[in-house]
Amino acid sequence: MTEPLVTFRNVKKHFGEFVAVREMDLDIHAGEFLAIMGSSGCGKTTTLRMLAGLEAPTSGEIRIGGDLMNEVKPHERETPLVWQSLALFPFLSARENVEFGLKMRGVGKEERKRRALEWLDRMEIGEFAERNITTLSGGQKQRVALARSLVMEPKMLLLDEPLSALDANLVIRMQAVLTRLQKELGITFVYVTHSQSEAFAMADRVVIMSQGEIAQVGSPKDIYRAPANRFVAEFVGRNNILSGTVASLDGETVTISTPSGAFVATAPDTARSVGADATFVVSADLVSVSREEPTGENRVLCTLISEEFVGSMVTLFLESADGHEFKVQMQERDLIELDLHNDDQIWLSWAVQNAHVLDHE
Amino acid sequence: MKRKFDLYAMTWRLPIIFWQLLFFVGPLLFMVAISFFVVKNYRMTEAFEMVNWQKMLSRGYFWDSYWYTIFIAGISTTVAMLLAFPASFALAFRASDNLRRWAIFLLIIPFFTSYLVRTFSWYVILAESGVVNAMLGQIGLGPFKMLNTHFGTVIGYLTLTLPLVVILQTVTMANVDKTLIEAARNLGCKPLATIWRVVLPLSKTGLIVAALFCFILSFGDFVAPFYLGGSQEPTLPILILDTTKSGQQWPRAAVVAIMMMATLFTIAFAAIALAYRKGGAR
Ligand SMILES: Nc1ncnc2c1ncn2[C@@H]1O[C@H](COP(=O)(O)OP(=O)(O)O)[C@@H](O)[C@H]1O
Ligand SMILES: [Mg+2]
Repeated sequence: MTEPLVTFRNVKKHFGEFVAVREMDLDIHAGEFLAIMGSSGCGKTTTLRMLAGLEAPTSGEIRIGGDLMNEVKPHERETPLVWQSLALFPFLSARENVEFGLKMRGVGKEERKRRALEWLDRMEIGEFAERNITTLSGGQKQRVALARSLVMEPKMLLLDEPLSALDANLVIRMQAVLTRLQKELGITFVYVTHSQSEAFAMADRVVIMSQGEIAQVGSPKDIYRAPANRFVAEFVGRNNILSGTVASLDGETVTISTPSGAFVATAPDTARSVGADATFVVSADLVSVSREEPTGENRVLCTLISEEFVGSMVTLFLESADGHEFKVQMQERDLIELDLHNDDQIWLSWAVQNAHVLDHE
Repeated sequence: MKRKFDLYAMTWRLPIIFWQLLFFVGPLLFMVAISFFVVKNYRMTEAFEMVNWQKMLSRGYFWDSYWYTIFIAGISTTVAMLLAFPASFALAFRASDNLRRWAIFLLIIPFFTSYLVRTFSWYVILAESGVVNAMLGQIGLGPFKMLNTHFGTVIGYLTLTLPLVVILQTVTMANVDKTLIEAARNLGCKPLATIWRVVLPLSKTGLIVAALFCFILSFGDFVAPFYLGGSQEPTLPILILDTTKSGQQWPRAAVVAIMMMATLFTIAFAAIALAYRKGGAR
């Protein structure tokens, strides 16, 4: 394992009495696309600002490339940030905006201009180089902001909800632009977003934050399949969450009895005892639906309440006899084969390895 | 009866432009007319002669006074802008919102009292046997002559303009988007350089307007040069006073006044044009 590019060790950030970030431990590796995701006010921006030196940690250590950065001033770092508000200079042209950082680094006039134009071209807005920033569209400004940061050739780019001001179809386009750029340049992206779909679609690893704490770190797939706790399970949506008590233990698997019935789930290697509370999750797209009662450990009879269509996917909302809500996600054509109607009784089932017991509540 | 009522209502409904015409453009035109009148035997008589213009504009003392007034008002404006800047900067960027509110409130208080009274208070402070010289005397310096000097004039102007300049600068800079300052820092700009690179370009309009106000107030002020400057080098407002006193030369005073207004119009126009000129490209 190579040294991480960035390490947070026990980092805290207080604003007076208010704790914005508490005891954060995080490694960021060179060349990865890391998304920091969480709802508004959970401390994402504060984390990013500490990385850029715009806030000093109240305690703990932040290292970049092994060097302690706590006291290093923002202008002495190579951590360009793409701002949520873009923060382009309205009194400068697009090209002058892109040149700004190079100018501060003492790059000569001709060289500056050449590199700025190169990046504006690369971002496909070369023709707007001499235009005043205020006359550009949202998407064009976005590209200027990216060029302004990337022209510095940083090892790491920080992005704070960069697409939140764009309309939906443009967001998809820019997501593609960003992921491609990151792969081409091979630099580290630290990407803050409140959008789960954005984080999961773009990032190699996702950090989920909640109230100043890291709730889980992992690849989108890991987080999606095996949420570490109830917060993440609920935040990620699409999950069926069932709580009960441990009825029996058998190596890697646990039988949990819940009001909807007894189910078998896989448990990570944390110690558990019979009679303890336990919660497990099953992703909605890993649940099968059938008319006939299925074989296997995990099955429950439910009543169909409603359906929700998104593209070719459909989400079924069902209820078990005890009133627990279940969600199932499937292809629309599979649903047509089943010929389901509301209030129909139907069996749900899932494999043991797809049911994960949460590490903790 | 009904007619009269309508007329009354009409008067109040007339657009503001009417009052402008009545109380601003009217007197101004009248003053222009007066500048062509002649004075005979200490009596002003209607006429249309160029004599006042020829006489005034060919006199060395008029032009001396003219350039001196521009110079001393310009110096005072520069000093006011520079003195005010650190205070305004601190109020705009370092102070809490609450402190800034209080500061602006306190800066308005000087305007509650008469400018004339405030000017006279400088006598006590600046006189040869005044407070400042007494203190300097303690460390073996002085006494310095501060009243009836250019320095006195500038002090007087600053009494009038400094609080206003601080207020205007503060309000302007408080509106600067702090994110842009951080963005500059993030791109490698040193803390002090952000003033030049970001704060000044963003507050250009407000700062120029502040300077313009300061200049206009100083340029037209009569009190400071008269009481603190000793008027041995007369500014234009003092020249107007002297001209009217000596032989009832209202027409020549009108010439000076019109020249002053023309100068202020030109400067104001240029300043506003500069203030709103777009930086960068289009
Ligand atoms: N300079 C500050 N002073 C006081 N509170 C702050 C400051 N900056 C952020 N906060 C608070 O810290 C919390 C986290 O903020 P932030 O990191 O911006 O959240 P987000 O995850 O939405 O980006 C918020 O509750 C915010 O109000
Ligand atoms: Mg934020």
